[in-house]
Amino acid sequence: MKPVGAAVIALQEATVHYPRRAAPVLQEVSLGLDAGEQVIILGPSGAGKSTLLALMTGVIPHSVAARTTGRVLVAGQDTAHSSVAELSRTVGVLAQDPESAMCMPDVDREIALPLENHAVAPPRIDALIDAALEHINGTGLRGRSTRQLSGGEGQRVALAASLVAEPPVLLLDEPTSMLDAEGISSVRRAIDRAVETRGPAVVLVEHRIDEYAGSDGVAGLPARAIVLDAAGTLLADGPTPTVLEQWSRRLVAAGCWTPLDTELQAAFGTGGGLACPIIRDRLLGWAQDRPTVPAPSRGGVVLSARGLSVTRAPASARKRRRDPETITAQLEGIDLELHSGEITALLGANGTGKSSLLLSLAGLLAPLSGTVTGDRPGMVFQNPEHQFVASTVREEIGHGLPAVINGRPADERIEALLAEHRLTHLAEANPFRLSGGEKRRLSVAAMLAHSRATLLADEPGFGLDRKATISMMAAFRDAAAEGQSILFSSHDLRSVATLAHRGIVIAGGTIIAEGPIFEVLGDRGVLSRAGIVLPPLLDWLVEVEDRPEAIRAILDGLDREVSPVPGMQVQS
Amino acid sequence: MSAGPLPWVNTATPLGRRNPTMKLAVLFVVSFALLFVFDPLTPALLYPLALAAVLIWGRPSPRMLLLAHIPFLGFALGMLMINAITRPGEELFTVLGLQASVEGVTLGASLALRTFVLGVLSIGFVFSTDAVALTDSLHQQARLGPRLCHAILAGYQMLQDMPGTWQTIRQAQSVRAPAPAPGVRRPGIREFGHAAFSLLVVSLRRGERMAQSMESRGLGLAPRTVWKPIRVERTDWIMAFGVLTVLVVVLGLGVTGGWIRGYSALWG
Repeated sequence: MKPVGAAVIALQEATVHYPRRAAPVLQEVSLGLDAGEQVIILGPSGAGKSTLLALMTGVIPHSVAARTTGRVLVAGQDTAHSSVAELSRTVGVLAQDPESAMCMPDVDREIALPLENHAVAPPRIDALIDAALEHINGTGLRGRSTRQLSGGEGQRVALAASLVAEPPVLLLDEPTSMLDAEGISSVRRAIDRAVETRGPAVVLVEHRIDEYAGSDGVAGLPARAIVLDAAGTLLADGPTPTVLEQWSRRLVAAGCWTPLDTELQAAFGTGGGLACPIIRDRLLGWAQDRPTVPAPSRGGVVLSARGLSVTRAPASARKRRRDPETITAQLEGIDLELHSGEITALLGANGTGKSSLLLSLAGLLAPLSGTVTGDRPGMVFQNPEHQFVASTVREEIGHGLPAVINGRPADERIEALLAEHRLTHLAEANPFRLSGGEKRRLSVAAMLAHSRATLLADEPGFGLDRKATISMMAAFRDAAAEGQSILFSSHDLRSVATLAHRGIVIAGGTIIAEGPIFEVLGDRGVLSRAGIVLPPLLDWLVEVEDRPEAIRAILDGLDREVSPVPGMQVQS
Repeated sequence: MSAGPLPWVNTATPLGRRNPTMKLAVLFVVSFALLFVFDPLTPALLYPLALAAVLIWGRPSPRMLLLAHIPFLGFALGMLMINAITRPGEELFTVLGLQASVEGVTLGASLALRTFVLGVLSIGFVFSTDAVALTDSLHQQARLGPRLCHAILAGYQMLQDMPGTWQTIRQAQSVRAPAPAPGVRRPGIREFGHAAFSLLVVSLRRGERMAQSMESRGLGLAPRTVWKPIRVERTDWIMAFGVLTVLVVVLGLGVTGGWIRGYSALWG
């Protein structure tokens, strides 16, 4: 541990208790952060990563009700005695949701706000806005409305606003979690450039570590790593490559997202990643040794769309009549068929119309033209809270179910789903009070309860840690094995490859490719047109293996390294 | 959804370019003065003048101007009728057993016309004022605190997204319904309640995140500066002076002509 006096941020045995939780979320964490130092924080869901950042900003204890002991010093000030605004002189924050970070009507005022707050002389502000936008590669964004920015643009503007007042520390709280490949790389470039020019210390919490690190692998991550375990205690603190190597097994088993190299190290006990011939051989060996996932039994068509044109928002009948030309189609000429027992992935960049297509297929958004035939599908929305209608978890799953299902009382089915999705201990809790991962499990369980022929899901893995992602995939597989057809959109291509049998790629307002998933993922032309970038492992696998079941066996093998989750049955 | 001012707001007019706080102050002064006027002729003289001023300097679309009158029309008719039949006095006519008095109709007409005067001035204000500029101006001219003003601005941003969020929630909850029919059904009271609760929770969470975001950028520190100050210009004073002059002239005419009536009209 570093001497506290030298550090720009210092935690001294910091412990945080949230109300209504028996165990503390952080326990006696002590650490110091020097000026200009770059740190990544690793740990499974619930390990207190976000809580650690909230302690550094002063949001805990000032805005969030939590009991704290120990001390947190920011630039020598005890955060207990300084307001969040006061601490902002030292600490800047970039949060995960660009929408909530935008508080002003236009980009200029968004970036001017911190300058005004820090009493910068008005004549200087114009030039400072220009410089801040220049540092995030965003000179073209000047004067734009904040509500019309894409996710990546919004995050870059939020970054500019966090850095414009030149705080010596920058906290990055999953800054790329809501972005597609293009958004991630633009934000990553902006962070690098801004850090290079302004030199703040950086504390990063990130799920999608490989995507964030890009082609540099572990070298693309902050130089120092801090690991928190599930109980919120500090497990390791040191140079990133060393920490990842020493703790690889434990990190992977705990269900953390880790860089691929770490995952492979945990599986094979050897470093070097995909470049290492031993690891390559053993991975390919899995495809031979391990029992493979049987090819899906493709059933009949359960949902089909013909000549579908969809729009972003429903237009009133009056508007359609009065000025039909102002309603533009987001997607046109969509023909697709979903088969019983089959899992299909819907791929494409942000804003291409994946959500609108799912809504139209679910019968929730009237298409501009074309038809959808089939029984009414179920749908899991991106934000689980949008779907909750009951006051307890048990009622939530039972919502809309008939009293008797297949000759048995519905209660049996509800109890089974509670157990299967690890929700039994929360059966009487209010859905809105669950953690992010629990909410997601509940929204999936509540929709699966209806056993509709088709299940649609919009980014179902969003915000989950690796363990939770694997268990959600298992639930989808089980549902498909029982004959449901599943269509889901996702940016997590690893999950896509593990789970989906087929893929549909949309770009430029229509479907540009449709077929068996590895044919789609292996078509470089299609991927580049759709702005999809394969993670390194998949990139290599589609290159060296052309048997889908072999690739799936390898991906499943790596998933098995994560400690088994109760109720999860990985098909084999 | 549009990002800028609401579609019916036009700030590219002489009235639109005036300082929002000054406009609000003038509106307040006229309202306050009319509180003490209870004859129908004074507001009847003021209404066409106010309407002409709004039409000439605010240039609203006539259709929108007419539509915006509807709520005031309803309120004005209510005022007229209630006063006509409830006030004792000389009988004017009897309908369905209800007797209208001359005093009641006179007072009712005065209140109805007052509603129209204030209505058309408010419409002129709303149609010519950008909400963001109003908040800025209230911060700078009316000394409203920066935290309150920025909270209003952030709330205004959130409000613009709310119809979209409501729609998503209704879709997300409709798909849970047991009915086999597709589409988003009209919500019943229960469904409406569920959706409203979800909207409340989601909005509270987002509001909390926005508040944290603004605080972590130093909102609340003192002293602070203002990048682009909104000033009170000479034209603003000319507008205020002009409106008040017209008001004083009309009131003066009422006094010399003897038709103006104050609170005495209420009881005799």
